[in-house]
Amino acid sequence: MTTHVADQPAQGAHAGTVFDIGYRNYTGVREGRARSRAAVFKDGLRIALGFGRGGRAKILPWLFIAVLAGIGLIMAMIVGAADRIAGPDAVQQMNLPSHDDYYGIAASLLFVFAAIVAPELLCRDKREGTINLYLVRPITGADYVLSRWAAFMVVMLFAAWLPQAILFLGLAMSDRVPMAYLQAHWLDVPRFLLAGIVMAAYATCLAMLTASFTTRRAYASVFLVGLFLITTPFTVGLAQEIEGKAGQWISMFSLLNIPLHVNDVIFGGPSEITEDAPARALGPTVLVAWYFLWTLIPGGMLWWRYRRLSP
Amino acid sequence: MTAGTPLLHAERLTKHYKNVVALNDVSFSIFDGITGILGENGAGKSTAIKIFLGLLQPTSGSAVVLGENASKNLGVRGRLGYMPEHDCLPSQVSAAEFLTHMAEVSGLPPSVARTRAADTLRHTGLFEERYRAIGGYSTGMKQRVKLGQALVHDPAFVFLDEPTAGLDPLGREEMLALVRKTHREFGISVLLSSHLMADVERTCDRIIVLQGGRVVQSGDVGHFTKETETVFIEVDTNREALVAALRQRGVGVTQEGSGLTIEGPDESVYDHIRDALVEAQAPLRRMAPRRRALAELFERA
Repeated sequence: MTTHVADQPAQGAHAGTVFDIGYRNYTGVREGRARSRAAVFKDGLRIALGFGRGGRAKILPWLFIAVLAGIGLIMAMIVGAADRIAGPDAVQQMNLPSHDDYYGIAASLLFVFAAIVAPELLCRDKREGTINLYLVRPITGADYVLSRWAAFMVVMLFAAWLPQAILFLGLAMSDRVPMAYLQAHWLDVPRFLLAGIVMAAYATCLAMLTASFTTRRAYASVFLVGLFLITTPFTVGLAQEIEGKAGQWISMFSLLNIPLHVNDVIFGGPSEITEDAPARALGPTVLVAWYFLWTLIPGGMLWWRYRRLSP
Repeated sequence: MTAGTPLLHAERLTKHYKNVVALNDVSFSIFDGITGILGENGAGKSTAIKIFLGLLQPTSGSAVVLGENASKNLGVRGRLGYMPEHDCLPSQVSAAEFLTHMAEVSGLPPSVARTRAADTLRHTGLFEERYRAIGGYSTGMKQRVKLGQALVHDPAFVFLDEPTAGLDPLGREEMLALVRKTHREFGISVLLSSHLMADVERTCDRIIVLQGGRVVQSGDVGHFTKETETVFIEVDTNREALVAALRQRGVGVTQEGSGLTIEGPDESVYDHIRDALVEAQAPLRRMAPRRRALAELFERA
């Protein structure tokens, strides 16, 4: 917006420049609601990953992502080392954990990551009153929350897919014939991508809904960690006591296992984490429907809560 | 918008919250310039602003802003600015980053948003501090950021809700100067909501007074200045005779403690006071012009 007008240089004098720093009205294009949504989405990504904030805001998200990626790397290294020490046949017999087991192994960490980071996208805006500034602009409350939801979903997908990609590349590289490994196992890629979507959507919906009820990130995080981690031993213990159909249904309330059952359906068999879960007896249709119930209802409630929000 | 077309128009606007009537059959128009909307807490100022911004639906009547109904056409909000009274700023981000983001949320392309944010911060006096986190700003600086976010997308009309709240006298003066600058230099029309008569008088061209959800007065600020001016005098003796002499001249007088408050719609009241003091032989101890409190204005209305 700074303009300058260069005077004609007078003979024998230096050319002068006058800077006009007065206010100028904006006459360019206004991109409307789509730009507004994109801006809220982009800001959500920055909040979740700590960009544009101080160093402390970056520590937690990147620490979790690094640890999750590290698990994938270690799994690949174990397979590679076993292959070199004991040979490929022995590795097959060992049945070392692979793509189908990864989400089962990392689920707790992935959900704690969601519990800690997701509330930051909603709670702070409410606590500091910034939400009021969004609602007077060309977006609705639903636009705002869906953009934030999408931003965290992308971050969760990154956190879920990155270790699986590292694991896949690690397994391929550690194979004696990497191309043969790729040809034999290429189907693992769409499977872990789909299973990653399942994990990310579930954690995002539950974490964002919980965050929508409070202005304090810590309350939401503690509640979510408790919800994800405590329900599993509690329901598993209770299901083993009761047994039968009732026990199977109680086992369904292990919140950690709900997306893992869908992961099992995608990979065509139980992982080490879920193979003893009584809920498996209810069959894939019930398990998948149960997953959708636990994802779509929180997602719908989140949308409903913000739909008619006003300052 | 053509000249003479109102930027905002309320037609028989009514808003009920269960048993509470926030706005009751209110009609007014706001044209280019700085308009003050005065009223005590609960008078309906914020409700009116929220209806104009499209955030609340009126129970009946219509509210049109820049020729549109903002609740039906969200796009018009891209040409409106709003500075809320309460806290609304993120503490962790810098003013430059926040204003850039708000410009984008208002629909401006990212590259333009960045330039506009820097320019707006310069015009609101925060250019040197723009890369510091807002959480470390003083109250006055935060008020400037709030004003900046309302202006960053170059709106045609801006709503300012109690812009001087929490400011010291110097900060208040600077904020009011910025509000005047917003219209006179930036060409942005302003609706300033306040409960402080002095702020509105010093800044606005026109005033709308709301009380109990109704418009009780509206007009040019000069009219209100005269309406609200009084002269306070104290005399040593012959006070009763002075009151009689003033009333004989048709001047309204009320006794207030040890002094008298005299209605002062124009300069001629000083001539009447001089003549009455001479006639009543009342030695003058003190005489000072005084402005009526906002509450008194409401009582009169």
